[in-house]
Amino acid sequence: MTALLETHDLVKDYVIGGETVHAVNRVSLSIQRGEFVAIMGASGSGKSTFMNMIGCLDVPTSGALLLDGIDTKTLDSDELAEIRNRKIGFVFQQFNLLARTSALDNVAVPLIYRGLGYTERRERAQAKLEAMGLGDRLLNTPAKLSGGQQQRVAIARALVTDPLMVLADEPTGALDTQTSLDIMGIFQKLNDDGITLIVVTHEPDIAEYAARRIVFRDGQVIEDAPVKSRRRAVSA
Amino acid sequence: MNSLLSSIAGWGVNVAIAMTALRTNLMRSILTTLGVMIGVFSVILAVAVGNGAKVSVNQQIATLGSNMAIVVPEPDSGNSGPRRPSDRGRLTERDGQAILRQVPGVNAVAPQIRNSVQAVTSGRSATTQAIGATPEYGTISNVSASDGRFLTQGDVGSAGRVAVIGQTVADKLFADISPVGQTVRINRVSFTVIGVLESKGSNLGNDNDDQIVVPITTLRQRLSTAATQGPDDVTLLFVGFEDEDSLLAGQKEIKTLLRDRYRVPKGKINPFTVRTTTEIAETTGEVTQIFQAVLVAIASISLLVGGIGIMNIMLVSVTERTREIGLRMALGAKRSDIRNQFLVEAAVLCIIGGAIGLILAMVAAAVFQKVADFPAPVGWDTALMSVAFSAVIGLLFGGYPAIRASRLSPIEALRSE
Repeated sequence: MTALLETHDLVKDYVIGGETVHAVNRVSLSIQRGEFVAIMGASGSGKSTFMNMIGCLDVPTSGALLLDGIDTKTLDSDELAEIRNRKIGFVFQQFNLLARTSALDNVAVPLIYRGLGYTERRERAQAKLEAMGLGDRLLNTPAKLSGGQQQRVAIARALVTDPLMVLADEPTGALDTQTSLDIMGIFQKLNDDGITLIVVTHEPDIAEYAARRIVFRDGQVIEDAPVKSRRRAVSA
Repeated sequence: MNSLLSSIAGWGVNVAIAMTALRTNLMRSILTTLGVMIGVFSVILAVAVGNGAKVSVNQQIATLGSNMAIVVPEPDSGNSGPRRPSDRGRLTERDGQAILRQVPGVNAVAPQIRNSVQAVTSGRSATTQAIGATPEYGTISNVSASDGRFLTQGDVGSAGRVAVIGQTVADKLFADISPVGQTVRINRVSFTVIGVLESKGSNLGNDNDDQIVVPITTLRQRLSTAATQGPDDVTLLFVGFEDEDSLLAGQKEIKTLLRDRYRVPKGKINPFTVRTTTEIAETTGEVTQIFQAVLVAIASISLLVGGIGIMNIMLVSVTERTREIGLRMALGAKRSDIRNQFLVEAAVLCIIGGAIGLILAMVAAAVFQKVADFPAPVGWDTALMSVAFSAVIGLLFGGYPAIRASRLSPIEALRSE
């Protein structure tokens, strides 16, 4: 079986003030289905750039990126949009929910771009929100939800398309300790159910909830190993 | 509503997104819409007033009668050369008889003398125009009496003191009683009212019912005729033709005949003018066309300004919502989805503005029609065109911001604050 994600000599260069910066420098790795990976590193280590490329939000300068066996280099912007829609679910640090829009409608947004009808979008969104324990918050707008609740709405949105993997960029960065634990508990439960998770974080504690830790420094992978003393979230 | 939305799938969604976005910035949306509203309002009103002018002019021409030429002793403005008072010609009843005899296709000639007069009844008076005419005036210009009778050959022959009065004059002089059989003093001469003219209404502020028709002979003998020089001089001749073809040929024949009769030397301009109803219709048609074009052009400027307002607001909207655009792209929106979202938003703004502008224009046109007594019709075609036009404005001016939004890179857009 092919790896879910494979990179070969992946490079991303930025030209800043006439100087070329290798944000990601020849990274080769693979991630299998069902893995729970934490990507760590200080700011500027290249972890976010790497994340954006595997999320098909940014295109590599060189090297190969194979997603579910598909070489993303050959895809145009519409095809990349389709990959993001069908194969990837995103969870962001700042939740990125649409303001003045109900939780239900927020979760349904990705299904608009899949071309589903109104009724089906609502049914699917409602099911995911209920699975996140937000069945009584369907019509609340983000302003009426706590940070933890907002992030759960965002996770429901990431899952509503039944993606191959969920990419979370600092998902606990805007949350307090207890809520962060709750969110990691949810991730562990999702992973137990077979969903592939890739979480970018700079907090070592948070990384210990994952099964595998990849550490970036100066655009390169300096450590890639299973988490030895893996934590389990109690509340999950 | 819900099933309707899903049935028109993608576009329905875009309209829903647009409505949410527009509601979010309600005040701004209203102000932006105002620009398009005023633009559409002024364009429609301009079209309506222009159409009204055409209708009015056509009515005016129709009241003259069809297949008719008017001969007046004015120098022909169509010829070049100096115009002096001495260029003014004469026109007589005998000229009219000659035209009837010699120009092919002519079936009637109606000589007229026109004069401003004062008409008085007991306690009431009216300043109006007296037309000294013959029965032929009735046949050529479709003038008839709705009450009583029109002039006869006998009235003319006996120079009878009888008058057929227009509806406006009748209203002014005889409030409640039937005018027929009553006496009216015209410039201190007593006349018996024998009929009331069938109303021809008014157009372009010109009241066709404000006139009194008396026998030409009576007018010449009894009422002052300062406008004429000789014993059988007339103010003008109405020449009726059998059909349009003979009218076109006859116009030239009349000119030749009159040049001969007055021995106008070659190269000298005609001391008279022959105008056909066809010509008048064409000339006035051109004038009203230009009038309308100028109105619409001026009004279009406000629509253009409204469109620029739309573009401005859409650019602001795109900048403000860059993060939302990035998010939507991350969630699977294609470039075309983003572009359509903003296009629909601009189009919705414009269509709402256009619809309100249309309604206001229809109300204004109706009020205008009532107050100014001037037709300003807003047809369903104008209505449809205006809404379509505002949608086009939306797509045109919303196009650039929408394309700009769709060209954003997902990651750059997501990173923006």
